[in-house]
Amino acid sequence: MARSPRTSTRPAALAAALVVSGLLATAGCSAGGSTAAAEGTPGPGGELTFALASDPVCVDPQQRANNDAIYPARQLVDSLTDEDPETGEIVPWLATSWDINEDATEFTFHLREDATFSDGTPVDAQAVRDNFDAIVRLGAQAPLGSGYLAGYVGTTVADAHTARVAFEQPNAQFLQATSTFSLGLLARSTTSLPAAERCTDHLVGSGAFVLEEYRPNQVVVETRREDYAWGSSLWRHRGPAYLEKLTFRVIPESGVRTGALQSGQVDAIGGVAPQDEQGLADAGFRVQSRSNPGLPFGLSANLARPALRDERVRRAVQAAVDRQEVVDTVLSPSFVPATSALAHTTHTYADLSGALAHDPEEAKRLLTEAGWEPGPDGVRVKDGERLSLTVLWTENFGPNENVLQLLQQQLKEAGVELRLRTAPLADFLAEREAGDYDFTWGNTTRTDPDIMRTQYSAALTNYGHLPADSTLEELLQGQNAATDAGERAGLSARAQRELLERAVAVPVFELTTVLGLADRVHDLDFEASSRIQLHDTWVS
Amino acid sequence: MSGGRNGGLGNAAGGGRSNAVGSGPGNGRNNAAGRLLRRGLRSGLPPGRPWRAGAPSGWTGRVRFLLGRPGLALSLLLLALVLLAAVAPGLFTGRDPLTGVPADKLLAPSVHHPFGTDQLGRDLFARTVHGSSASLRAAGLAVGIALFAGSAVGLLAGALRGWVDVVLTRCTDVLLSIPALLLSLAVVTALGFGTVKVALAVGLTSVAGFARLMRAEVLRVRAADYVEAAHSLGVRRHAVVLRHVLPNAWGPVLVFAAVEFGTVLLAVSALSFLGYGAEPPQPEWGALVADGRDYLATAWWLTTLPGLTIAATVLAANRIARALEREEEASVR
Repeated sequence: MARSPRTSTRPAALAAALVVSGLLATAGCSAGGSTAAAEGTPGPGGELTFALASDPVCVDPQQRANNDAIYPARQLVDSLTDEDPETGEIVPWLATSWDINEDATEFTFHLREDATFSDGTPVDAQAVRDNFDAIVRLGAQAPLGSGYLAGYVGTTVADAHTARVAFEQPNAQFLQATSTFSLGLLARSTTSLPAAERCTDHLVGSGAFVLEEYRPNQVVVETRREDYAWGSSLWRHRGPAYLEKLTFRVIPESGVRTGALQSGQVDAIGGVAPQDEQGLADAGFRVQSRSNPGLPFGLSANLARPALRDERVRRAVQAAVDRQEVVDTVLSPSFVPATSALAHTTHTYADLSGALAHDPEEAKRLLTEAGWEPGPDGVRVKDGERLSLTVLWTENFGPNENVLQLLQQQLKEAGVELRLRTAPLADFLAEREAGDYDFTWGNTTRTDPDIMRTQYSAALTNYGHLPADSTLEELLQGQNAATDAGERAGLSARAQRELLERAVAVPVFELTTVLGLADRVHDLDFEASSRIQLHDTWVS
Repeated sequence: MSGGRNGGLGNAAGGGRSNAVGSGPGNGRNNAAGRLLRRGLRSGLPPGRPWRAGAPSGWTGRVRFLLGRPGLALSLLLLALVLLAAVAPGLFTGRDPLTGVPADKLLAPSVHHPFGTDQLGRDLFARTVHGSSASLRAAGLAVGIALFAGSAVGLLAGALRGWVDVVLTRCTDVLLSIPALLLSLAVVTALGFGTVKVALAVGLTSVAGFARLMRAEVLRVRAADYVEAAHSLGVRRHAVVLRHVLPNAWGPVLVFAAVEFGTVLLAVSALSFLGYGAEPPQPEWGALVADGRDYLATAWWLTTLPGLTIAATVLAANRIARALEREEEASVR
């Protein structure tokens, strides 16, 4: 199976020792990386230490959506299906085959018979039912999974290894959803627990690794499951994983992470800062990246706010953003500007870069048309009110603040003041629910276009207060009900255009997952959503 | 940085804790308050404005005085420049601190950009100059709060004695027992973000030191003959306190305020470094250092130059405070 992450390896130029003077302690910088790329053959043994950019908060794959939780959590669970990162095809994993009825309301999965959870209980139809029931019960605690299961009627255990999942309405995205970590299967001893008790402990899955311990803000340790034999059909080898032990260390400062990789304290790091990419590559480290599908990083409007209820103001913001400048200034060549409401690696993506062109004159014209006239301090005014918009953001991605400060600068040119309000990662969801902002800043990763419905449907969380009787809502529901691939692609493309033209979404750039790897690490693969899969990884 | 600002307080409380971080370049011990206290306990007659008593009189005398102390002269010059930058940043730079030229990002220091440019192409010198206003205002406000509230508490405790004294003194003891930066963090987390709130948080945690010193001074002055004379003449108690005790007790407290300025500036910068200060893109010294920390390996000037500015200002403030304190001592002898 073809799986070739984009890598850029350089012959190790000896890094000149960087003299970092200053008052503050410097991150350890040394010439790193062995010169000859160690070749060898994959084989069992060894350990891997991976530096996470933030604390996972919780390592339950069904509850979390942040990458730094998913990296360790993905290794603990198997999914019913898997998705080919190259073709997007859904292939067998725990389910050897499946049937879908005509109108996509009923999904029947035929499970393999040898899989067991690490506590010895079998992975059977009853387990599938326990899990889906539990995810629906988790509700808001499982924001992704419960969205995928919207309209869930129930799971029928047809026989020990055949499970039938039924929905009230057509649910075209569900098959792809079963390949995600959010619907990964956990043992009954876990699913019967309340949400808070299955975050740091009691997580029993059927995955290739078993959770040893999770100390918040410090480390997640996992060990190999020796009798593992039910890997995804996509993986490079059968049987247990090669690595004996995984250690995920939490290192929030990007400079310290880079230094830890350079000094050999860790084997791989996540969240490589854009400004460190070149230096790592020059020092002989592999910088491995893959574009994340789903919703690009951008602003999502809150239509409950008076200024943004006017579509012209939103469209002015859309036109005032210079996406290329953001990528050139704050990010690295690994990143690309947004060209649609979906990232270009998402299924049914439609290139709408024409609707996202930087046009400051158009922005000014729209604002004047909407009655906002230039004020004394450069910020536009209407009826004595300044055009000041607040954006709520959190530090789930290192360059966020710099990107937002640049947007601030770009919008100022059009006469719009953008105020930044930050919330810690742990408080972000609560703040978002409180609704005291004009825009939220963020992204969501998923290969299926249904992620638009998750974020923008009036029928779900609807933090943007979108109207329930709009063309957009019709299109979002329509694409999930469409069983014909061509019809679904058409509806999805129209939904993308609608989001941009109504300027409900102001996408800015597509997230790229950038990892830094030491030479001794091989075959560290990205799965379809650009999260890591460590079953085939080996060290030399 | 934590604990550093406690050096003076520890001595004031008779504890003898001291720390070189927040102190002057020369003797490395920030025990001004301790010395003032010891001096205070020796008791003495009240000079009108004691902290000026030892200063040379006349213009030429002052110049000669400063020429003999180049460190002090340099400190005065630097602080004057920083204060001028805070009041009139336009005199130092014509560049916009908020809007940069993205194409000019991360340029090393040069003639055009003395401090280089940051990751968004903004001139770092302009940001440092414009940031001085917010940082100095916060430090000034914090010292002001601590001076006013601390003096009031100390005066009440010293003048009223009895249970009021016991309660207030125990409260200041509690305040002193909590690490200052930790307490400021707790307070600012409760208050929220912003320069004024940072100033409030740092000011509140510095109250205890001022209260202790003021109380000690009040106790000393209370015992003086002229106070007893006023009492015996039938002057009312609050009038004695305000007219005779307070004016003669506040000299060392004001000098202590000067001593505290440097350490408070550090504490304010620390909170701003941690992201509690002004909303971006408004520049603030601590926030400038924080912004640059991801670029230590690629752009040293982003952390180093604002960091050196903070350090130089703190050292200058401490040098001047030390000179004031010496004069205070000399005036007593």
